[in-house]
Amino acid sequence: MRPETRSRLLTACQAIVGPDAVISSPDELRVYECDALTTEHRAMPDLVVLPTSTAQVAALVRLSAAEGVPIVPRGAGTGLSGGAIPVDGGVLIVLTRMTRVLDVDLANRTATVEAGCINLAITRAAARRGFFYAPDPASQQASTIGGNVAENAGGPHCLKYGATTNHVLALTVVLPDGTVTRFGDRIADRPGYDLRGVFIGSEGTLGICTEVTVRLLPEPEAVRTLLVAFRSMEAASRAVSAIIAKGIVPVALEMIDQETTRALEAYANAGYPTDAEAVLLVELTGLRAEVAAEGPIVEAICREHDCLLLKAAEDEAERMLLWKGRKSAAGAFGRMTRNYYHQDAVVPRTKLAAVLTEIAEIGRQFGVRVPNVFHAGDGNIHPLLCFDARLPGEYERAMAAGDEIMRCCIRAGGTVSGEHGIGIEKREYLRLMYSEQDLAAMRRVQRVLDPAGLCNPRKIFPEEAVA
Amino acid sequence: MSGALTQDLARICGAEHVRDGETYRIGGRIPETAVRPGSEEEVSRVLALACASGAAVVPWGSGVQQTLVAPPIRYDIALDFRRLDRLIAYEPGDMTATVQAGMRLDVLQHRLAVQGQFFPLDPPHAERATVGGVVASQQSGPLRCQYGSARDLVLGVRVAHADGTITNAGSRVVKNATAYDLTKLYVGSFGTLSVFLAVTLRLHPRPAAERGFLVSGGRLDALHGFALQLLGSHLAPSRMELLDVGAARGFPGDGPQLVVSFAGVAEAVTDQEGTLRRLARESGVTVAEIEDADAFARVRDFPGLSNGRAACWRGGVLPSDGAKALEAIRAAMATAVSVEGAATVSHGTLRGTCRAENPEALVQALVEARRVLEGLGGYLIASDVPAVTQGRVNVWGTPPTEYELLRNLKQAFDPKGILNPGRLLNL
Repeated sequence: MRPETRSRLLTACQAIVGPDAVISSPDELRVYECDALTTEHRAMPDLVVLPTSTAQVAALVRLSAAEGVPIVPRGAGTGLSGGAIPVDGGVLIVLTRMTRVLDVDLANRTATVEAGCINLAITRAAARRGFFYAPDPASQQASTIGGNVAENAGGPHCLKYGATTNHVLALTVVLPDGTVTRFGDRIADRPGYDLRGVFIGSEGTLGICTEVTVRLLPEPEAVRTLLVAFRSMEAASRAVSAIIAKGIVPVALEMIDQETTRALEAYANAGYPTDAEAVLLVELTGLRAEVAAEGPIVEAICREHDCLLLKAAEDEAERMLLWKGRKSAAGAFGRMTRNYYHQDAVVPRTKLAAVLTEIAEIGRQFGVRVPNVFHAGDGNIHPLLCFDARLPGEYERAMAAGDEIMRCCIRAGGTVSGEHGIGIEKREYLRLMYSEQDLAAMRRVQRVLDPAGLCNPRKIFPEEAVA
Repeated sequence: MSGALTQDLARICGAEHVRDGETYRIGGRIPETAVRPGSEEEVSRVLALACASGAAVVPWGSGVQQTLVAPPIRYDIALDFRRLDRLIAYEPGDMTATVQAGMRLDVLQHRLAVQGQFFPLDPPHAERATVGGVVASQQSGPLRCQYGSARDLVLGVRVAHADGTITNAGSRVVKNATAYDLTKLYVGSFGTLSVFLAVTLRLHPRPAAERGFLVSGGRLDALHGFALQLLGSHLAPSRMELLDVGAARGFPGDGPQLVVSFAGVAEAVTDQEGTLRRLARESGVTVAEIEDADAFARVRDFPGLSNGRAACWRGGVLPSDGAKALEAIRAAMATAVSVEGAATVSHGTLRGTCRAENPEALVQALVEARRVLEGLGGYLIASDVPAVTQGRVNVWGTPPTEYELLRNLKQAFDPKGILNPGRLLNL
């Protein structure tokens, strides 16, 4: 950006949001050159702005559009695919000051919040009256609902409840030209195209969402959480399939491999057995009678698959402890490796055992350790590629192994992302999944909503396919 | 059948699969010709031909959803999908199935039932409807209360575009966050952006037990309040339909009724029945188990098709306004002879009929009902009306605020306007 443009923008941004809400010094800007993607991608924004209202966001977007500079929306910066990295510079619009809960309507079981509201804060606002917001990405204590919408975030409890797109009813969106509009509605089936559904998962490339209306669910009457240890990943995978085959859909079916379990125990002390190759966390929720009927069936299946240990949480404190292990996974990664690259892919559940075997083989081939802690119930795996960036060749080897894992998941009929999104990380992998024509249809939508191509540019789509 | 169009279509699909348009009539309009392609390739070539010649195409499954939208403003080719009726892939362990768009929903359900699974969409006339038609029209039924709508249950799609290009969107797995989810754009677009060739569906296990109950003995708003109480509790009803006096006719008992069902493991169903009866006693309403095996289908299919006599309307309001809306509609339709209405309580969607002595009275009733629903922030769709009133009552009401975007999308996907022109919001 030319210095005179930048200085004009700085003054104009300060006029919109006030001087304390604009960051322009290089030292402070550096904080915003990356998000939670751990590969070597970095880029500095020209300015960072922290608006507090939809009107301010709209004014900032209009201003940027008039100057022809890119805008990049950002929430808490916990995204794992680089979606908030301002690759072409421009104005980074950070929504973390828009955190208000605007409305909780229990008669209609909805909550409307500003986009910077933390995921967990929505449940906190409704919990006293027995309701909760279902999608629970691992980052839920930090990530914003706006970021969740951008990535179509998931989480362990997606297996039963579905992902963000199944729980968001309506959005207030500032379009790339600065117009404020609504996508979706609290009133169902209004005639028209489902732009809400298209916007969710569009990673900030179709506009900036400033308010989100979500569906709340009544808390289930009963919950039962089991910790089960297995001799092998394969035995655990077969147990997962057998549970599903019985017509039981647990709310969560999480698998943790031995290397991760050992690191977790050293870090979080959740009581996971460290001598088993695989640990499965199974949670059933629903009516008391339902959980009471399904619990013993699940336990019997695990025994049939020669589990080494089966432990049910006796109370809420024990349950929280079991989950603490799983939810601390990201924190334990640092103990397992100096550097890592956290992947995300989905395979059909029935291919899980075969794909896990293949991933282990890929790890051996490339000389890369690949521990894995993942959502087994929906086939959503998270291989963790370990490397030491100080050692020559390690980063490249880890990336090459990651590449091979993506190809393996696609061959199995899966997708290259289940919940982290494409961002800049996986643009090239889209070609493994989609044809040029498939991508052209998506870009047609992008051109309608962002004809100038200034809204989070060079994200999602493969480089040469960008319009 | 000697037109150039017909001959071109016969060259693509075979003369035996090109027929007269008479049985594909929509609102008095008859297409020049109808064609039944037998492969995706043939669909693609038919569309490319239509696009080149500017012929308007109406995708056709079983025809049961055609009255949900306005008649086409141009109508040259009925594109009949009933030969594309295969189950392409079904892996019970993944609880997903990929089916061709022309497969009948009931045929699919039979195939899934063998494995103890089902696709939990129960739109009106589910026996005849095709999967493509149901998904294109975002139609749902009472089971939406538990399982959501097509926008929740369709994982991926394969579509043909106006120029014949074939593309995929979404995926074949249950979780996906890869680029734009165009599945959502196409579902419910009534074939105005592209036509479905195949869809991948999320399946569910068939519940081991299911029982239904009629709750009655209160005014409409009291029954509705009771229903909202159940929805906010830990109970998990699979159906929750509020029927006003007219819609409840034919069910035992007097006055409005609330249809409630529970599905799942037998112990949980029994347990919920106990809670339902206790809460009903506390609220002063009565509960009777539904014995009639046909009752769920009748509620699902209400109000049926107008068949030229009455007007069938659909609408939506906030769930909490369901009873208020049904009552307001009845009051607003003062010029009508009879009004019947029902609401899917969990989603606030409404449907019903009205009859009047003459077309003017019918039009006025619909206009007034729309006024009250729009006053509640809702909408009313008047697509299935007698021929004499067609064109005299606006099908859609006030256009949505984002209408210009919708029009731009339509223009981008179908620049020549050949796909179901004028059917959805005049797009």
